[in-house]
Amino acid sequence: MLGILKSLMKNRAFLLLVLPGAAWFIIFAYLPMFGTIIAFKDFRIHPGGFFESVFKSDWVGFKNFEFLFSTNDAYIITRNTILYNVGLIILGLVLAVTLAIIMNELLNKRLAKFYQTAMFMPYFLSWVIISYFVFSFLNVEKGVFNQILVFFGADPVSWYSETKFWPYFIIFLGLWKNAGYGSVVYLAAIAGIDRSYYEAAMIDGATKWNQIKFITLPMLRPLMIILTVLALGGIFRSDFGLFYQVPRDSGALYPVTNVIDTFVYRGLTIMGDTGMSTATGLYQSVVGLILVLLANYAVRKIEKDYAVF
Amino acid sequence: MKNKKMTLLMVVFILTFASVLAGCGGNNTKESSNGNTTSGTQSAKPTESGGQTGDKLDPVKLKVYLIGGPQRDLPAVQAEMNKYLTEQINTTVDITMIDWGDYSKRLPVITAAGENYDIAFTSSWAFDYLPNATRGAFMPINDLLEKYGQDIIKELDPRFLTGSQVNGKNYAVPVNKELASQWVWRFNKQYVDKYKMDITKIRTLEDLEPYLKQIKDGEPADITPLAVPKGFKPYIPFDLLLGDEFPVGMNMNSTDGKYVNILESDELKSSLQTIRKYYQAGYLRKDVATLEGIDNIKTGKWFADREQTQPYAELGWSRSAGYDIVTSPMQDPVIFTGSATGSMHAISANSKNPERAMMFLNLLNTDKYLRNLINYGIEGTHYKKISDEVIEDLPAMKDGYQMPGFALGNLFLTYSHAEDPADKWEAFKKFNNSAKVSPSFGFNFNPDPVKTEVASISAIVKEFYPPIMTGAVDPDEHLPKAIAKMKAAGLDKVIAEAQRQFDEWKASK
Repeated sequence: MLGILKSLMKNRAFLLLVLPGAAWFIIFAYLPMFGTIIAFKDFRIHPGGFFESVFKSDWVGFKNFEFLFSTNDAYIITRNTILYNVGLIILGLVLAVTLAIIMNELLNKRLAKFYQTAMFMPYFLSWVIISYFVFSFLNVEKGVFNQILVFFGADPVSWYSETKFWPYFIIFLGLWKNAGYGSVVYLAAIAGIDRSYYEAAMIDGATKWNQIKFITLPMLRPLMIILTVLALGGIFRSDFGLFYQVPRDSGALYPVTNVIDTFVYRGLTIMGDTGMSTATGLYQSVVGLILVLLANYAVRKIEKDYAVF
Repeated sequence: MKNKKMTLLMVVFILTFASVLAGCGGNNTKESSNGNTTSGTQSAKPTESGGQTGDKLDPVKLKVYLIGGPQRDLPAVQAEMNKYLTEQINTTVDITMIDWGDYSKRLPVITAAGENYDIAFTSSWAFDYLPNATRGAFMPINDLLEKYGQDIIKELDPRFLTGSQVNGKNYAVPVNKELASQWVWRFNKQYVDKYKMDITKIRTLEDLEPYLKQIKDGEPADITPLAVPKGFKPYIPFDLLLGDEFPVGMNMNSTDGKYVNILESDELKSSLQTIRKYYQAGYLRKDVATLEGIDNIKTGKWFADREQTQPYAELGWSRSAGYDIVTSPMQDPVIFTGSATGSMHAISANSKNPERAMMFLNLLNTDKYLRNLINYGIEGTHYKKISDEVIEDLPAMKDGYQMPGFALGNLFLTYSHAEDPADKWEAFKKFNNSAKVSPSFGFNFNPDPVKTEVASISAIVKEFYPPIMTGAVDPDEHLPKAIAKMKAAGLDKVIAEAQRQFDEWKASK
């Protein structure tokens, strides 16, 4: 007991710093975890309020999960979700680091700030608004792309029913929207690298490229690993707006735009079943958790110091 | 010094955790005390029903959720209502309006969280009546109706109450309004006159063809002959099980009472060939399969579309469009279970004062003063009377008090406007009486035993319906694909379950 108090005492400053975040997690992440039992229940409303409803509803085992796996779409939605996310995580990482390095090397700092802000902008736009931007390019009759095609004598394309273009559109838009945000983190990390490394390298005659390759990138590695491992946790979730709003919910595009989140949304709007929605959320979280643990385990095996925990 | 700091830290810790715990603990106690009060009122019921006159009742405040855009002047009107309600039944109301798009999202959360509201709007299309009634969100009201809602029973077309029963019980008070539903073709009169068309001859999708062609050939390219969005479906005479986004129905012209897959019916197959032909001829917009909505009424660049009608609907459409719109029916009016549940008020299962809520609903559906007050606002401020039954809007109405009349209570009590036909409500009653009753009227399907299948099929419908139903793709190729996919997802199981429930319901009658 005394030992615990002593260590509390010793780390009081850190503990205080952690307090707001910890409180947030307890209230918004840990307490609601109680609700996951709804995933195993046939949720009914009882007059005594929410808790009574939860306790008095019948247990149904894994019945609420069946819907996720019962159709032929189960394979397609899982494949789409994972492939798009893997693509976005890898390309997003490369793009964010590249942009951060370029921005850091720009000599005109005022211009660098301008570029940074400009790239940050899309992050604050909602997908609904972006979907209209995209629509103005892809509209069959009046869209920019088709106008250009017609101008050069080609046949107009009905973009919203041709599946072959959409994987590229989606990856491009996903990267475009989040690259600016991602690069800020790396930019901050680069700014934190000790200048004397570069000075020493320059004295030894290292070129710009050598400096990036042998100093900047190795110094960024721990951060890259941590952010990637954490991103893996969300691999079964997807940016709903990107897959629902941007393709304008076009049925013809479902083979390439249907992901777990959109599938669940479409399936459950007619009934609004609380149990089945909770089951989906739980399933996504559990898979995410397993992936994070596995990825961290792999990192720990290879390079112990870089593991997140 | 060090000790002091540590104490402070401990205090902070304890306080945080205490407040967090108090947060949930407090909830729990509130929950249980609510439970107590509910049972308390229930046991007190006999005495209360003994003294039904207003002044003997305790003051009660009712929490009411209604659908529609929030209105600036609602607080003022509500104060006026509360004055009147206090005199009548010693009750006040606290009305919250939730916007059209949000209502179906917020009410389930409010309900699931166990909030003690008293009355909420519910219907077949917003905060859906059937699933919420089966899930236990609403209180069965048959006893309350008997005791405190006698006037409602007297005024309401009895078919509303039969049609909205779930397992033999009523869970909401239906609004007295048009009971039947009827699809019509709407036409932009400008073109009907220009080409001297006889629209009374148009009934089916096939009948439209020569007229669409005339428009396509004779008018500039930006006039859409058949201006419909992705929600379009050719009309087929089926009594649908779960709305028009689910492919199970019963043929209304047959008497065998069998649910079938409508995608396999000859009626739909031939209509799909027709709409495909129209699409290829350019009568519909090229991007129709992804078109959420269409602004044809606003732009005026259209010839025909489809809509659900009610008596004198053309007048309203023409008035809001600013030009004349005429119609021609696709079918005779039919009464469905869904059309009887188009607008209702339910009493929450969590309500602490269900008796008073019913008294309020009773007044709302039978008291002319109250009904018009909530609908049109305060006389002299929002409207002025021209005669006993006819009013004229004042500017304040447009600025601060536009309520959705059909969602508030007995529509036949409301005043009409000068431009309305004098026999408007009479025409509504005639419309209701002339309608054909669908074979499954009064049957409410409970999808729970097959909810996995229903959810999977709904997702497939969203993929295939828009392009197939609007003719954007070849039905010969895509329809079999859609059917195969739905069968794999358990469509036959849903049909069998629907049939079982229907037969059971039929036998119980």
